[in-house]
Amino acid sequence: MSEPVLRIERLTKVYPDGTRALSDVSFEVARGEFVVIIGLSGSGKSTLLRCINRLVEPTSGRIVFEGRDVTAASRQELREIRRRIGMIFQQFNLVRRASVLTNVLSGRLGYLPPSWALANYFPGPLVQQALANLERVGIPEKAAARADTLSGGQQQRVGIARALMQEPRLILADEPVASLDPAMSHSVLRYIEELNRKDGITVLCSLHFLSLARRYGTRILALRAGELVFDGLPREIDEARFRGIYGEEAVAVEIG
Amino acid sequence: MALEEANLRPAPRARPAVWYRSWRFYAGCAVVLLVYGYGWRITQIHLAELWRGARLIEPFVVALSSPDILTREPRTEGASAPFYYGGQAPPAPPTPSGPRLVLSPRTGPIGTRIRAEGRGFAPGRPGVLWWENQIGQRQQVASFVTDSQGRFAVGFTAPPAQGTRNLVVAEVTTGAGPLRPSPTLVVVVDRMIETIFLALMGTTMGVLFAVPLSFLGARNLTSHVPGGGVVYALTRACFNLTRSIEALVLAIIFTVWVGLGPFAGVLALGVHSIAALGKLYSEAIESIDRGPIEAITATGASPLQVVRYAVVPQIVPQFIAFTIYRWDINVRFSTVIGFVGGGGIGFVLQQYINLLQWRQAATALWMIAIVVALLDYASAVVRERIV
Repeated sequence: MSEPVLRIERLTKVYPDGTRALSDVSFEVARGEFVVIIGLSGSGKSTLLRCINRLVEPTSGRIVFEGRDVTAASRQELREIRRRIGMIFQQFNLVRRASVLTNVLSGRLGYLPPSWALANYFPGPLVQQALANLERVGIPEKAAARADTLSGGQQQRVGIARALMQEPRLILADEPVASLDPAMSHSVLRYIEELNRKDGITVLCSLHFLSLARRYGTRILALRAGELVFDGLPREIDEARFRGIYGEEAVAVEIG
Repeated sequence: MALEEANLRPAPRARPAVWYRSWRFYAGCAVVLLVYGYGWRITQIHLAELWRGARLIEPFVVALSSPDILTREPRTEGASAPFYYGGQAPPAPPTPSGPRLVLSPRTGPIGTRIRAEGRGFAPGRPGVLWWENQIGQRQQVASFVTDSQGRFAVGFTAPPAQGTRNLVVAEVTTGAGPLRPSPTLVVVVDRMIETIFLALMGTTMGVLFAVPLSFLGARNLTSHVPGGGVVYALTRACFNLTRSIEALVLAIIFTVWVGLGPFAGVLALGVHSIAALGKLYSEAIESIDRGPIEAITATGASPLQVVRYAVVPQIVPQFIAFTIYRWDINVRFSTVIGFVGGGGIGFVLQQYINLLQWRQAATALWMIAIVVALLDYASAVVRERIV
């Protein structure tokens, strides 16, 4: 067994207001896995993903990414780690007033000298790479458009292209399709699946719908009230397990 | 038992209060009447004055329809001939081509009947005969109309005057000259330009100080830094205190400080703008979306890059819109800042009004109205484009 891409050890996060978002979560992710995290709203999925690149400071525990301790990293080290971890957001988090191309290019900022930012300078090869990534997610013609003129599905594909600019080893996707309609959801998830299969990028993705989790995940983690209650293959989730994760009253909803 | 029953029954509805039966209504009416009655007296409202004073303001209202904008200087041609008091005859005048004036007699005491004959003037035109004394003071002694050959003849009495040498000048108006901007318009335009630049410099001063200060007054940026809460509270308190002092009061203070003139106006507008813009900018920063900040941070960008790519694009349009809006307000305001000596068009407007030069005052007022309306429109268009 090779070195895991990601190792989480006894991760705990308590917010200043006392909310215990994660307690004692431990797992490992091997290279090339498509791990789907499921759980109710507020079960800690977002916190878990944000702890991995320390957008949220963990309270205790250890996170090791490609052998480097994320939790102990200095600011400079943390930036080096972050640029190998792409992130995709539920609300896309594009700079709405900027062009699509600028949004994609901004994924590369971690590799560039900060002073270039003042002149808004990106070298030519990077622009070519950005255009190639837009081509890859199927919207090359939108490069010059303003980000907020795009539809939700298109914006999320810009978000994927931005993450691709980082040449990431790991992609964290926080409810990437929760703001999209079912057809768009499959389209976006297929792009992420393609990155996982073809480029060998490990994916850690939180999803609302069990049906989507079963369809795309190679492995499923389930959180309930901040605790890891399931870690296994998609087909292992039966009715009893489902109720254990979502509560007694839950009914599985199929999504196209 | 009875209690339970009462609880089971639907609660008896409160009878809808009839407004004219409520004593509160009459008490309220009395209070309102008292307040407005006292207000009427204390502000000395005498509606009759509006009618009685109307004739005082009438020339101004008339002047509004005929502001002093353009003038047509009359074109004239003239001829002159000397007349000496005290016996000595003046030297014979040269005989120039063109209009000529001949006096008879050419010398005599005060009160002499003099006959003036002119020829070579434009035909059928009105003219005036002037008596000019030794130091160039003129008085009109006769008026005439030239005949079809351009001649005239008119008699008059030599007026009392100091000195011996006098000049009789005949001036015939031959037509109106080209339209030209009146001197008033030149002055008013000059002062309007000063006003616009006064507002520009004041706004620029406001922007230069307000941009950095606004970051200190934004809660979402200061809350993460130790001591940030104090900085935030202090900055906001400064903004609010300064904003509560009217720019006109500031202008009076600055005229004492740096003397009368536009510089005092710039300082007054600048200080007021710092506070007003600072508050607006801070609120713009507080309202930014955290999503892009999170996303850019997650790519491993440095804080400078995060500000440049996630914060700046979100605040720049609003900053520009607020700045244009402020400039617009400042132009409007700088028109009155002249009233207290802060330079600009208000200064001349006040002079015209004090001297009862209504047509000139009307010119200044129209200029203010037009420029402010145009800037208002322009700023609205620009802001709409940006936001």
